[in-house]
Amino acid sequence: MLWFEQEVVAALMRPDLDADTRAAVQSYVAGTLHSMPEHLRAGVLAETIALGGRSWIERRTGRFDRDRLLARLTGWKHSSIDPVRQYVRLLESLVLFAENELAPGSS
Amino acid sequence: MRKSFDTVDTDVLVIGSGAGGAVTAATLARDGRSVLVLEEGPWVDPDALEPFSLPEMVAKYRHGGSCAALGRPAIAYAEGRCVGGSTEINSGLYHRLPPDLAADWRRDYEIDEFGPDALDRYADRVEQELGVSLLPGAPPPSSAVLERGATKLGWRSVEFSRVFRYETNGRAVKQTMARTMLPRAIDDGALVMADCRVDRLVRNGPRVTGAACVQTDPDGKPRGLFVRAEHVFVCAGATQTPALLQRSGIRRNIGRGLKMHPTVKIAARFDSLIDHGDVPMHRVTEFAPGLTIGGSASRRGHVALALADSDADYADALAHWEHVAVYYAAIRSEGSGRVFTLPGFRSPVVTYQLTEGDMSRLARALVHLGEVLLAAGATEMYPSVTGGGVARGADDLVQWWDALTRNRANLMTVHLTSTVRIGEDRAKTGADSFGRVWGYDNLRVNDASLLPEAPGVNPQGPIMAVVARNSDQFLSEA
Repeated sequence: MLWFEQEVVAALMRPDLDADTRAAVQSYVAGTLHSMPEHLRAGVLAETIALGGRSWIERRTGRFDRDRLLARLTGWKHSSIDPVRQYVRLLESLVLFAENELAPGSS
Repeated sequence: MRKSFDTVDTDVLVIGSGAGGAVTAATLARDGRSVLVLEEGPWVDPDALEPFSLPEMVAKYRHGGSCAALGRPAIAYAEGRCVGGSTEINSGLYHRLPPDLAADWRRDYEIDEFGPDALDRYADRVEQELGVSLLPGAPPPSSAVLERGATKLGWRSVEFSRVFRYETNGRAVKQTMARTMLPRAIDDGALVMADCRVDRLVRNGPRVTGAACVQTDPDGKPRGLFVRAEHVFVCAGATQTPALLQRSGIRRNIGRGLKMHPTVKIAARFDSLIDHGDVPMHRVTEFAPGLTIGGSASRRGHVALALADSDADYADALAHWEHVAVYYAAIRSEGSGRVFTLPGFRSPVVTYQLTEGDMSRLARALVHLGEVLLAAGATEMYPSVTGGGVARGADDLVQWWDALTRNRANLMTVHLTSTVRIGEDRAKTGADSFGRVWGYDNLRVNDASLLPEAPGVNPQGPIMAVVARNSDQFLSEA
């Protein structure tokens, strides 16, 4: 999982999760992205690079802020460009599923 | 340097161990044939993991459940990848092929010996062998919701049979292939090899001589394996079967005409508590087979996903997730798709194009689903449409007609079929009336790929009946 994908996952997670659960969610998302069909994973990687470029520059210049990233994700989630919307939906779905399934009494 | 391969000989090679492969293997082994079953996925104890849980998705689903058919919109789909295939992960609902549909297929694709009587005979056999039954007691609240809503609206609903047996202590046990057909095949002498992926079939003129495989050892080390076989049945499902044939250079009418049941969902909140351990067994059949309404897995994770699909504020609903369950409406689609392989890629590309008529049917399906849930007492409904708006009353449903567009619909499916259709009309089909691939003497397909269209009902029953029929025909001919 690329740095920007890790940051997106971290931003999308509930802030009240403990460190172990956060690590388990990161691990689940990484594993699922890794096992995706190659052509889908390639598309996700391309979007990660395209959408994460600005955040990457901010990181290099010490101005990266996760709240700002979350605001961007909210905007992308409502994008009229379907692949952009689906990018956030995919990662949000994986995070949501994992953090709710890893919670006690999930069934 | 030449790679060394272990070589195994068998009379019949069955590739895949799901509803198609397991029924094929059990039928042929019972007749005394030497059968080897290869399964790409692992063996997982059917009792080891909670159904529909995250560990189950990781262990038993292809790609961990993250597959999608490309198109506008993309359609997420799920398939099993373990010993027993998708029967290990589905809800176990069972339905025979509707007789009028069988008649249509027989006519449109010129399928020999495809009459309702013959198919019913095989359905009888499968049902007897598996154990197909109704719930012994009253339905759980999540299922009763559908019956109650339909009754209020004057719509038809029915409790579907399931491939379940009920133990004396009341425990319901799904009769998956890993619990039923595969152990029977093994008892009759078949071998089942897990963690073994078939890369390609090896051909010599009109015959397939064997399969080049990679088996992964328990320590994770891959090793080459060549299986020599007199007869080969490819039963890897509607995406993997055409992909294997294409990788092997067999392409005529292979992978085209993919069909599925595109599905919209609603997360519905009720005042009372809803059960979450099982999938509802009732279905609203008022508009079947064109449109079927039912219930989905509703663990906390599924509820969260369904709520988020609406993009509304769902924090309060999720906090009370024990009052929320997920329901779906599935359509028979006019659209179709393709499965094709790309050089160097392990996974096939799957595409699906919905027609404008499909989009209209999906909007209608969503509204009807909302109507039945409202009639059953739902207080809030979150549709799987980004920005679709939460509905709390009948007036709110109107907005969904326009909300469900290609850019906003979040669709999924679990039923994929029709990528190697059967029939005598060679222009439309990839295999003859009994699944023998055109141009090959000893190569057959025997799984969901063969169904000429999506049946509008859970396809497990129709697949098993057709597979049992084809297996008997092979035995009578061989």
